[in-house]
Amino acid sequence: MENVEIAENRVEDVEIADQSVQDILPSPKKPPKRKRAYYKLFGKSYSFADTKVGLAFLAPALVLGIIFVVTPIVISLSYAFTEADIYNLGELKWVGFDNFVKAFADDPLFWTALKNSVVFTVCVVPLQLVLAFGLALILNTNLKGNTFFRWAFFVPVMLSLAVTSMLWMNLLASDGIINNLIVSLGGSPQGFLSDPDQALFVIVFISAWQGAGYQMLIFLSGLKNVPKEIYEAAELDGANKVQTLFHITIPAIKPTFSFVFITMLIGAFRLITQPMIMTSGGPDNATLTLSYYIYNQGVVYEGGVGYSSAMALIYTVFMSAIALTSRKFLEKDNTI
Amino acid sequence: METAIRKHKKPITVQKVLTKSAFYLLLTVLCVIFLFPIFWMVMNSLKPHAQIYADMNSWKTFLPAFDFGAYGELFTMFTYFGRSILNSIFYCAVTIIGVLIVNSLAAYALSRFKFPGHKVLVTIIILLLMIPVETSIVPQVIILRNLGLLKGEARIIGYLLPGIVSPMYIFQFRAFFLGIPKELEEAAAIDGCGRLRTFFRVIAPCAKPVFATVAIFTFMGQWNEYVFANFMFASYESLKPLQVFLQLVNTHNPKDLACVLAALTFGTIPIAIVYIFFQRWIIEGVAFSGLK
Repeated sequence: MENVEIAENRVEDVEIADQSVQDILPSPKKPPKRKRAYYKLFGKSYSFADTKVGLAFLAPALVLGIIFVVTPIVISLSYAFTEADIYNLGELKWVGFDNFVKAFADDPLFWTALKNSVVFTVCVVPLQLVLAFGLALILNTNLKGNTFFRWAFFVPVMLSLAVTSMLWMNLLASDGIINNLIVSLGGSPQGFLSDPDQALFVIVFISAWQGAGYQMLIFLSGLKNVPKEIYEAAELDGANKVQTLFHITIPAIKPTFSFVFITMLIGAFRLITQPMIMTSGGPDNATLTLSYYIYNQGVVYEGGVGYSSAMALIYTVFMSAIALTSRKFLEKDNTI
Repeated sequence: METAIRKHKKPITVQKVLTKSAFYLLLTVLCVIFLFPIFWMVMNSLKPHAQIYADMNSWKTFLPAFDFGAYGELFTMFTYFGRSILNSIFYCAVTIIGVLIVNSLAAYALSRFKFPGHKVLVTIIILLLMIPVETSIVPQVIILRNLGLLKGEARIIGYLLPGIVSPMYIFQFRAFFLGIPKELEEAAAIDGCGRLRTFFRVIAPCAKPVFATVAIFTFMGQWNEYVFANFMFASYESLKPLQVFLQLVNTHNPKDLACVLAALTFGTIPIAIVYIFFQRWIIEGVAFSGLK
């Protein structure tokens, strides 16, 4: 962001400089008349050449963006106030705010889905953050076998979401390897994904297992950029390890921290693929997340496009609020 | 002088040895948790179905039998399995090329050319970053049907087109382009380089890190993509990308666990190769994304 501002400032500086040069130097001859290269619109001047080339470069993105980014938003906005079926969109019935009322007042599943999304996010973000940051801290010291461990923790990142989901489905099956291990160690077999009380937390664990290595890598590169001198200074001042961690390391990598935190938060709230593959939202809707419910209502169930659009709107407002507040909160005392 | 040097060498204390061994213990335990599922998957893909269950109660479950039968079976039982990997690679390649060209050109236009509305567009893009993508699946399906892109094989285009333009990537490209000095382009212009050529010959080489980052994220996103493909290719077995096809193998009745594990292992090989070959770029890309 800073880069952007600096660059824009510089552009203005250059223009000012150009003007002053023109003012100071008396033009010896009037320039020959040629085709006008500039035009004015709303009091600002633009060059024809810039407009032509700029719009040409922008055209593909503009066309695709209008069709696939802007129109869906407009559609969502308008369908949210109607009753519509994805396979028969000819008949639209205007229902006003009924869809929103339904979500908040008449549909317990909406609340279940919202609760599941929130619980998942609240559990997975701290778990994964601590795991990734802890691993990065340990691996940032010069232990032997550093590179091996780094790769080991990164391996699950290479698996796709689908492979991870299907692998764990089979590992955690009632006759799977993990239940066999538990039984041979003297425990009783667990339901895992088929137990409504456990399923969501199993997905929390699997997500952290798969994702932590990725954030570890981001933290490691952040830690590499902390100047060594600060640590030496702290050591001279007699700071212990814990003090160094909280007063030097964490403040120094705060930008990395807030980036990871916000992307994780948004990513966690988007959870859909894993429950779709592993549990289809079950058992007993225990793993039905908000984005999954929105998808189901719109695409799978009949007559749900309007309701799905209304929930998508609520979801968008919710996500924007989360992103904005967390950004504000994290960047408030961001001094480094 | 000598004492100063001595002081720099830290003495080995009991506490230090203890923390170090604690670290190793922790790392080893975590390592086992992180790696054993994958290790077990690969080992058991090399066994017949019945033996996987027979070995489950003993240490043999972590040993391979070097029986490649499941892999053969996979390709004979599921005719389109190989094709699905090729489909995935094809979808990734098209998306990466499209994403890089379309978004970088747009970002370049928004960072260098002044035309009516360019400031408004930048603001709109920043606002669009807030909107979660998955809520637009339903309206996108509606649009694709109106465009006739849900019919037959045209759905390939319908599947790929919505993923090309991304406010996020335009934003990333633009931030990087703004940092490139204008003098470079002015020099190119003096040398008689056209605008498009300047972009590909001068700007793009300067912006390699951002191109690499975007390419990598596009690749990871597209390779992992499941939800949209699952909908688009629900009844088109031969067009399914790998991730969706795997679910066919996984839910096939009667269940052949060896076959499933072979499919999961085999399906991971292409992306593992990509990670190993491009590890420097990937690590840089990941680091770059965190340093914004």
